[in-house]
Amino acid sequence: MSSSTAAKPHEAPAWSQVRARVLSQRDYGPGHRWLDLEVPPGFLAPEAGQFMQLLLLPPSPVLLPRPMSVAGVTRSGRRTVVGFLYGPVGAGTRALARLVPGDEVDALGPLGRGYPLERPGTPVLVAGGRGVAPLLFAADVLRRGGRRCEFFFGARSRAQLVGLDDARRRLGRLGGRLHVATDDGSRGFGGTVVALLDRTARRLEGPLAIHACGPHGMLKAVALWALRHDAQAWLAMESVMACGTGVCRGCPLPRSEASRTEYLRARGDAPSLLGNSEYAMCCTEGPVFAASDLDWDRVE
Amino acid sequence: MSAPGRVKARAVDMRVKIGPMTLRNPVLTASGTFGYGDEYAHVVDLERLGGVITKTVTLKPRAGNPPVRIAETPSGMLNSIGLENVGLVRFRAEKLPRLASLKATVVASIGGETPRELAKLLEALGSEPGIAGFEINFSCPNVARGGARYWAVPRRLERTMKLLRPLTHGALIAKLSPDVTSVGDLAIACEQGRADAVTAVNTFVGMAVDLDHMRHRLNRATGGLSGPAIKPLALARCHEAASAVRIPVVGSGGIMSGRDALEFIAVGASAVQVGTASFVRPRASADVLEEMTAYLGDRGVKSLESWRGGLAAGAARRPAVPATGGRRGSA
Repeated sequence: MSSSTAAKPHEAPAWSQVRARVLSQRDYGPGHRWLDLEVPPGFLAPEAGQFMQLLLLPPSPVLLPRPMSVAGVTRSGRRTVVGFLYGPVGAGTRALARLVPGDEVDALGPLGRGYPLERPGTPVLVAGGRGVAPLLFAADVLRRGGRRCEFFFGARSRAQLVGLDDARRRLGRLGGRLHVATDDGSRGFGGTVVALLDRTARRLEGPLAIHACGPHGMLKAVALWALRHDAQAWLAMESVMACGTGVCRGCPLPRSEASRTEYLRARGDAPSLLGNSEYAMCCTEGPVFAASDLDWDRVE
Repeated sequence: MSAPGRVKARAVDMRVKIGPMTLRNPVLTASGTFGYGDEYAHVVDLERLGGVITKTVTLKPRAGNPPVRIAETPSGMLNSIGLENVGLVRFRAEKLPRLASLKATVVASIGGETPRELAKLLEALGSEPGIAGFEINFSCPNVARGGARYWAVPRRLERTMKLLRPLTHGALIAKLSPDVTSVGDLAIACEQGRADAVTAVNTFVGMAVDLDHMRHRLNRATGGLSGPAIKPLALARCHEAASAVRIPVVGSGGIMSGRDALEFIAVGASAVQVGTASFVRPRASADVLEEMTAYLGDRGVKSLESWRGGLAAGAARRPAVPATGGRRGSA
């Protein structure tokens, strides 16, 4: 597997920066918020796994926009609403959490490459904690496409299983299965979500197409499991970012040997936005990477 | 901006001359914050800007520094990119043709670890028709060799500029580090080496600490600080450089708005660079230009050059033009 097969072909930037209106915001499980933003007509709707840069209007406690994974897109008539699930953990997200309906932010997106949900195989979604956000979106997309998925959801304990009921609802009609794991055993399987995946996988119909999001430690375990079992896996990575558009070069992730070779082979066609032979940019080449694309020993 | 109903502000002559190069206006994009021009071309009309300064190119491609490269700090950001770039060969083959098609005034930023490396770059690029000028990056804070500290020696700067001068008919601009005893001395050295202009200033060396994990927030510990946090520091350096030399000074550091940009022009800069603001709002450079033009137009200023330097050293202590009321300068 190589980066060229893992990712969709590069296209000219399709993002724009628009003024978006807060439609609603609510608590979403302990320590988390769900924000619905209405974007203007003509704004290209994000795909599952893509992200947006949310910029607070002045006066703002922070300078840079916040990269936020998209947790859902709903459309009714000309109205497009983009949903975000996040934890207010820093100055920027805490200020975001205080916005009320009618408030505005500047939204830049859609950014990056999303999950290749169209890939054949049994879709297996693996979420860790609040990493569930883009996978709720992915489950929506799969359900609309009439595809059943296996949804693995892990967290340290039951309190961190944010959006568990939403995940269950999204699987509902099609009869997709929810597999829950907690490190402390307070809900579902006692152990990591990857250990649960390992126990369950042989009962799933192959080939598996794994789409995961969560802490990097978990993603590394998913990636290594997939590589060992010859399954395909795509992981939504995180990085500190400034611009989110490939310009600042601020979000490098270390390439695997295979990805390095592939990059050097294809570099005639590879726009510089897509990193270099040593590093891939999380914002433009990711945030979703194939397991074989990254050097997991060097991912922090 | 004009009040509703007011007649359109009179046209202001915003042109700026830097050596052999005439810019349509003073707004340039700072190197490293605007890619190679085309990344933001779908949201900014590059033809309308004064010019686009491209990401610093070096002889060999550079992968840049390991992560973490970015840390946000109060009103600013630290970066430790480490001059990641595609290198001279790919720059010529892939970037130049696209730059030429953009119809923007292109200033190519070049960086090197030695005077000889810079000369090689200029030998290769100096006569390219698509490049109006060159900004020599004498001030990268994030590389082990050939960075700001190496170049912060007046005699080295002067000798290097003299070496480079015959290699191009394009404009030569020296981008200076603020982390020096006297940016004025460095500016003088560049002027004596026949630079057409100096840029004051690049980022300030800074550091951020993650106390709870007892580690640096950036991989290389230090990075270059940019954004509104450095504007007062940059203004002082720009003022000092403009006082020291007769060649134009390009002001840079924390410019987020047209008013910010005009403060640099007021203290003696001839042109300005918009950098970090483009990361926040990709259209920032175009907005800065629009706000500058409107501010001057509202006050009946006919040309930027006539307004420039009202607060430069030696300027008479009076407002360059009477204010027409409205907002006062921010505190």
